[in-house]
Amino acid sequence: MKEIKIKKIPRNGDTLKEKLYLPAIFEGMKVTFSHFIKNLKDTDNLRVIWYPEEKPKDITSRYRGVHRLTHRDDGSIRCVACFMCATACPAECIFIEAKERTDGVDEKMPKRFDIDLLECVFCGECVEACPCDAIRMDSGIFSFIGKKREDFILTKERLLKNTIAKDFND
Amino acid sequence: MSGVLLFVVIVNILVVIILSLGGVPVLVWLERRVAGFIQDRSGPNRCHIGGIRLGGLIQSFADMLKLVFKEDLLPAHVKNRFYFSLAPTIVLFCSILTFSIIPFADNLVIDGKSYSLQALPMSLGIIWFLAIAGLSVYGIILAGWSSDNKYSLLGGLRASASTISYEPIMALSVVTMIVLYGSVSLNTMVQEQSKLIFGFIPAWGILLQPIAAITFIVAAFAETNRTPFDLAEGESEIVGGFHTEYGAMKFGLFFVGEYVAMSASSGVIVALFFGGYNIPWLSTETIKLNISVISYVIIFLLPLFSYFFIKWMYKNNRWKRKNDIRNKESKVLTKGIVGFNIVLIISLLYFNLLLKTPNVISVLTALLQFGSFVIKLFMMNLVYIWVRWTLPRFRYDQLQTLCWKYLLPLSIANIFVTAIAVVWISA
Repeated sequence: MKEIKIKKIPRNGDTLKEKLYLPAIFEGMKVTFSHFIKNLKDTDNLRVIWYPEEKPKDITSRYRGVHRLTHRDDGSIRCVACFMCATACPAECIFIEAKERTDGVDEKMPKRFDIDLLECVFCGECVEACPCDAIRMDSGIFSFIGKKREDFILTKERLLKNTIAKDFND
Repeated sequence: MSGVLLFVVIVNILVVIILSLGGVPVLVWLERRVAGFIQDRSGPNRCHIGGIRLGGLIQSFADMLKLVFKEDLLPAHVKNRFYFSLAPTIVLFCSILTFSIIPFADNLVIDGKSYSLQALPMSLGIIWFLAIAGLSVYGIILAGWSSDNKYSLLGGLRASASTISYEPIMALSVVTMIVLYGSVSLNTMVQEQSKLIFGFIPAWGILLQPIAAITFIVAAFAETNRTPFDLAEGESEIVGGFHTEYGAMKFGLFFVGEYVAMSASSGVIVALFFGGYNIPWLSTETIKLNISVISYVIIFLLPLFSYFFIKWMYKNNRWKRKNDIRNKESKVLTKGIVGFNIVLIISLLYFNLLLKTPNVISVLTALLQFGSFVIKLFMMNLVYIWVRWTLPRFRYDQLQTLCWKYLLPLSIANIFVTAIAVVWISA
């Protein structure tokens, strides 16, 4: 018969020292106090980013920031108004109106391309759905401020103006 | 009623109000900054008035202002509106009443007459504290019940259960101290602690009665509903507990009441176990005899401490962005500290050289003892805060087990041992 391997897990809490509670409590208080004194002596020990003055340095190229619409090599809009992103969007925050493209590069382009950032959940489904690599979320913008509701609706022009974040690779 | 008595009474009441209500913003600030530092983050430090941040203290004033000016909403489903509004006032009222029993300096002797430095100079002493501290839980129960809400009711029930359980522990540890000191008056108890054991150890309650000290401190934590016994709030389980339905200044009263209660029980712990207003090794008579030596020591030490504090401030009180108004704070505060030093040194020298009458000596002694009491009070409050950010919350059955199975037998045994020892020594 094969011997069954049994791993014995030690149970704590039976010794007098542990039942007294207080030694363990003092041990914990020692730990917190050492942190307190360390930070009180020199506030540079605090593990914080002083945010508005210091910007976060850990935003990687996979970070889903505010959307942008990409350009073709000739500088025109890459989007062909196929509505794939608007269909994939779970928050239904993308509004596209298509028009015919007459400059011979392609057949269709958006007349209007609005993203309502107040509805957007930044899931990135639109980026996944796009067959033309026309919409991306690699602008690196993590903070978006507006004073009116209308400020949060990104129009086609504003989306085209957003560029890839400086330190990201294409 | 003589003019001096009236003046002393007014000063007593003012001191209690300033220490209890005025201490709340300081305690809130301490709580947040200490919590931040313990968790390696900074805590609130941005709020400022003309660049003066005082290490973030301005934030608590801003929060209080916000609570005062917020719209006072009353939930539509609350049926007993009177009790709903009454509850927070009971909590605050009882907290301030418990605070007012604590002596903050020894009896002031002016022109041969003795004046007690307590806002409520009554003979009940510690009994008054036990009675009123127990009463303040009615506010919490009333809030929980009148909120017409499951979570609030649970919070109120938990608060009442933990208070009922821990009240006996508190009372029994106090009985030990009464047996030891032979009095219920807090002032007498504190005076007893100015003596020395074996001629060199201060006879503080914690050294004479370590077990009573531990049981009393644990019970005081449970009584004030602070972590690790804050089941009444239990924000991870029952939303906000008894104050779920409260907002604006009604919540503010609970908030202030909680901190005043914490401060009051710290004061009682200090008075019972840490020598109260006594400066270690210096009883009131010793201070009065050696007042010039003590004032010269202060004249020597104060600039030294100020120097190290200013050095620390210049190292740590900086703002990352240049040309920010907050960068000027250190210079302004340095001027303030230097000015304070000069004024204090000049007045102490003036007193030493020209104004050494018995009345002034007793006032100065009272001021020194008051300073000692305030330092001890804030140290104890710091312990409360420190424990809060170290320990997780007890489970409800653990709370009751700790109380009835461990602390109750321990404190009863302690009473017997103390009583036998006291009788044996005095016989």
